[in-house]
Amino acid sequence: MTRWVGAPLPRKEDARLLGGRGLYVDDVARPGLLHAAMLRSPHAHARIVAIDAAAAARRPGVHAVLTGADAAAVSRPIRPLIPTPVPLPDWCLAVDRVRYAGEAVAAVAAVDRATAEDALEQIRVEYEPLPAVVDPEAALRADSPLLYPELGTNVLWHDVFEYGDVAGAFARADGVLGERFGIQRYASTPLETFGAIAEHDAGLDTYTFWTNDQRPGLTLAILADSLGVPQSRLRLVTPDVGGAFGNKRRPAYLLVCALLARRAARPVKYLEDRLENLAALMHACNGVMDLELAYRADGTVLALRVRDVADEGKNLVSPTQHNLIKLGNIVNGYGIAAVSYEAYSVLTTKCPSGANRGIGKPFMCFAVERAMALLARRLGLDPAELRLRNYVGTGQMPYTTPPGAQYDSGDYAGTLRRALDRFDYPAAREAQARARREGRLLGIGIATSVEPAGTNLASYELVTGRRAASGSAEAAMVRVEPDGRVRASLGDPASGQGYETVVAQIVADELGVTPDDVHVERGFDSATTPWLYLSGNYSNKFSVTDVGAVLGAARAVRDKIRRIAAHRLEASAEDIELVDAVARVRGAPGRGVAMREIARTAYADVLGLPPGEPPGLEARHAYQNALAQPVGADRTVRSQLVFSNAAHCCLVEIDPRTGQVKIVRHVVVHDCGRELNPRLVEGMVHGSTVHGMGAALLEEFRYDADGQLLSATFMDYLKPTALDVPDIEVDRLEHPSPFTPLGAKGVGEGGAIPAPAAVANAVEDALAAYDVTVRSLPITPEQLWRWLVASKEAR
Amino acid sequence: MSVNGRGVERTVSPRRSLADFLREDLGLTGTHVGCEHGVCGACTVLVDDQTARSCLLFAAQLHDARVVTVEGLTPPEGLSALQAAFRDCHALQCGFCTPGMLAAAHELLAENADPTRDEIRDAIAGNLCMCTGYVNIVRAIELAARRLGASAAAVGAQGGAAPAPPRRE
Amino acid sequence: MLAGGQSLVPMLNMRLVRPARLVDINAVPGLADIRARDDGGLALGALTRHTALVTSRLVHEHAPLLAAAARHVGHRAIRNRGTLGGSLAHADPAAELPAALLALDARVVVAGPSGPRQIALDDFVLGALTTALAADEIVTEIDVPPARHAGWGFAEVARRAGDFALTGVAAVLHGNRGRCTAARLVAFGADERPVRLSAAEDALIGGARAEESAAVAALDCRPPADVHASADYRRHLVSVLTARVIGEALARLA
Repeated sequence: MTRWVGAPLPRKEDARLLGGRGLYVDDVARPGLLHAAMLRSPHAHARIVAIDAAAAARRPGVHAVLTGADAAAVSRPIRPLIPTPVPLPDWCLAVDRVRYAGEAVAAVAAVDRATAEDALEQIRVEYEPLPAVVDPEAALRADSPLLYPELGTNVLWHDVFEYGDVAGAFARADGVLGERFGIQRYASTPLETFGAIAEHDAGLDTYTFWTNDQRPGLTLAILADSLGVPQSRLRLVTPDVGGAFGNKRRPAYLLVCALLARRAARPVKYLEDRLENLAALMHACNGVMDLELAYRADGTVLALRVRDVADEGKNLVSPTQHNLIKLGNIVNGYGIAAVSYEAYSVLTTKCPSGANRGIGKPFMCFAVERAMALLARRLGLDPAELRLRNYVGTGQMPYTTPPGAQYDSGDYAGTLRRALDRFDYPAAREAQARARREGRLLGIGIATSVEPAGTNLASYELVTGRRAASGSAEAAMVRVEPDGRVRASLGDPASGQGYETVVAQIVADELGVTPDDVHVERGFDSATTPWLYLSGNYSNKFSVTDVGAVLGAARAVRDKIRRIAAHRLEASAEDIELVDAVARVRGAPGRGVAMREIARTAYADVLGLPPGEPPGLEARHAYQNALAQPVGADRTVRSQLVFSNAAHCCLVEIDPRTGQVKIVRHVVVHDCGRELNPRLVEGMVHGSTVHGMGAALLEEFRYDADGQLLSATFMDYLKPTALDVPDIEVDRLEHPSPFTPLGAKGVGEGGAIPAPAAVANAVEDALAAYDVTVRSLPITPEQLWRWLVASKEAR
Repeated sequence: MSVNGRGVERTVSPRRSLADFLREDLGLTGTHVGCEHGVCGACTVLVDDQTARSCLLFAAQLHDARVVTVEGLTPPEGLSALQAAFRDCHALQCGFCTPGMLAAAHELLAENADPTRDEIRDAIAGNLCMCTGYVNIVRAIELAARRLGASAAAVGAQGGAAPAPPRRE
Repeated sequence: MLAGGQSLVPMLNMRLVRPARLVDINAVPGLADIRARDDGGLALGALTRHTALVTSRLVHEHAPLLAAAARHVGHRAIRNRGTLGGSLAHADPAAELPAALLALDARVVVAGPSGPRQIALDDFVLGALTTALAADEIVTEIDVPPARHAGWGFAEVARRAGDFALTGVAAVLHGNRGRCTAARLVAFGADERPVRLSAAEDALIGGARAEESAAVAALDCRPPADVHASADYRRHLVSVLTARVIGEALARLA
């Protein structure tokens, strides 16, 4: 019975957020709270010769100071998610060397942030500058300066994967299309910056953290290890979070706060300011991808050969993620039978990379969809037609791709057709032709992609050679309180997705109550929320794992309610249904027990329980998705688990005189399986698509040759505003997944994956008469002007 | 100064920003800080009925000023018409930009009771949202304008007062 | 000196400037008035907010170019606080208002211990972030001469609406649609300070059409290169925008 799941319910979260009554980390008040500031390296690469913080420590209002050496004496390095080939100590503050401009070298806790920042100026650091390493291809070379001499290279990972008969496919092919693509560094930059409050109870020797960290399971493990305390003495609380998109992870900062709090014997808060956030938190990998398609004359793509260089910056915690995710998703919905993928994961002296929305898939999709657009041009085929000839068909599902990803369900061709229909593609082409005759540059771009959900951590074995963590799982709790109302919590802290509402919908359906009757705990609290190492917000996993955990807990409670009611009503539990907060006998609506009564029996009048039934009405359930499997002997693996898909159609107009691009229209047709709340789903599609538009046209973290970040504020790192993007039109197909508990698939990464490609294809299409090839992002007006000029000069 | 209609008197350090003053001295944490250089708009409040970046004002500057924050735009019970429209249109996800958006929308609707979509986009162009892609925010402001216009017209039809600025529901 | 603070306070917040003292002049009476002068010109108090420039009836009547330029400054919340005097005193080379004032042949009135003095705009803004203000002076008023029968135009290119311009051009022309007798074409974001496009002006007065005049516009600029645009691209934009604003201004000539 699904009265609530699938309904476009307004959100429970909104009342407090609209009234400014949310509680974000910076809003949390603690008695005696001190504020921390971090001293950051001005150099991209340097030895720390000496550091003297004595004067800062003496400054009035300063309660604690911490240098890297201080931290190393009382903590252990940050344990990586994906270990490097050789252990490379990753301290919470740089100890003997800094490896990117903005890397933290010391921290101060003071009565307020301004005083703390004043104190930073009194810390003397003597640096011995070293050569910066900025270009990933240069970083690969044997003669490159090394970030870690003990590693002997800047290459954290290099491997070649081959699936199917790649050489044979290339030999058989009627043609090969090869191109080099590039992508810039960018990030989703949630509006709330990252931070934490750490509090140490000296009596209990316990630590409590309030933070907007999105992977509490992982972070608690790291903190316990680094602080040298058992996890049972740590508590981590996540309140409201102002957006995450993969960015909100830096256990090092929590560790710094904890060490300062211990020193100062007072709680310590650190929030990044925006400049720190842009320079030092996380960028999606920039990189270069050489991609070759082997194709038949009719446009069928037989094989892919890819050489992919991912620039990880100074990322010791989770490098290679981008490569792995790209590898797993590389055929992008097409029935390409053979794949060769060469991965380089490279260190440079830049901001650490991380799992920014899409984790490499935007680049993968850009490269593949651009290649398809170029192939269509070469063969004189309509770009939509070329794709239709290549999609994996609905009848082939579930379909396993060469690297091992399994497409569970979907109608990729139907999705594209619907998008073209909504876009009125033929009319758009006519309008384009008319515009061309008037000298106007209109362009139409198509891009389609798969959108996976869930990450199977076993896939990291492809990098590390052994299995540490694996699978994809989550935990949840559902409890009917003694007063008959319901409470639930989830090990996955929301950051705007509306989990409080969706979880309430799911639980309400199972227990026969309304979502208003179900209070879903805000965020995460390790003391009360059930959680696993795998718990957290990443990889679109909600539908793949969280739903299973919530359902499992709700159903366990439901079944107990039935047993208690059956005992009361002298009926059989199978005949009990839960409707409108009453447990009643099916077919005999007059015979029922109110939820409140059931709860009274469970918690108070326990003699009324069925024999052998323990008191209480609560269940905790952890759920793992069975699609996750270990890596196969042939090195295939389901690195991600279920697959949504989407088709984007974009119409742009380019001002031929200035090169400015306007996105005139953007249509998205997507299929995320069962939509648990269509309103929330549509919102995700809007927001993620705008992220993709920003990546296509505006956003870039640019570095100079010395490793200095040039786009260091929101004046220079350009985010899309309401005037930069159009109304995004959304339509849907719905092919439920057979492999998730409610048939829902992922939706969070959504438009961030194909939108950059759609915009890029539209721009190139607008310039069709000028023989321009778009190979990299972002596309700036100046770049467009140069192309136009060069093309005219070429004539 | 007055904050949300209440007189406030404090001694402040000259370097105390209005944003920090509101959040920390007055406990009005609904105003958020997103960049501290005036670009993102998260900190936008109303000063003497006009939007202003509270991160670019010093509390000490606002002697005798009237400041209204998101808390002051919220009725004691329930939601204002504008807030209800945001909820009904799913115009917020993480909620961090929302207080600033509401201030910008409030100013727009006070001056322009029937804005076009372009005018709405222009009015909120100074408020970054990283979650919604703006589509639903525009719809919400449009809906609020319609609802407020309809209720004002209803008041007018009953021979009541001239249309008023955004009212509480 | 703290007026609007929309340029100064970000720099303070980022610790880029460290003044020993900050003087808030917002409460100084009389500095925000806009009044029509007897000669038909406009006197604008230094504390005139950008929003007031956009909405003031007097500005629309006497100096519509200023209203148009002001609309491009930042976003509404910025315009509500930012001031005309502040924009002038800050003298960002990419700012709209100093350029519009130069096109209008405005004069700046400054006041200090030694009394008030009037300075032509071209003698006031001397270079990037550099003006003729002495350390003990403030801008009090900006006087815009009568612009009877003038046609005006304004255009800029920015990465996003409200951003600092990559470059822009303001135009004030006298004459009639058939013949331009006087021209002030000013580019911003194209040099260390707003710059008169003399070659283009001469061409236009000499009878050249908009496109031909625009073709020589860039001769008078030395645009900067930065993370947003190269010098070459800016030069190209100056040319494109000059043609555009000449067209607009000619169309507005009575």
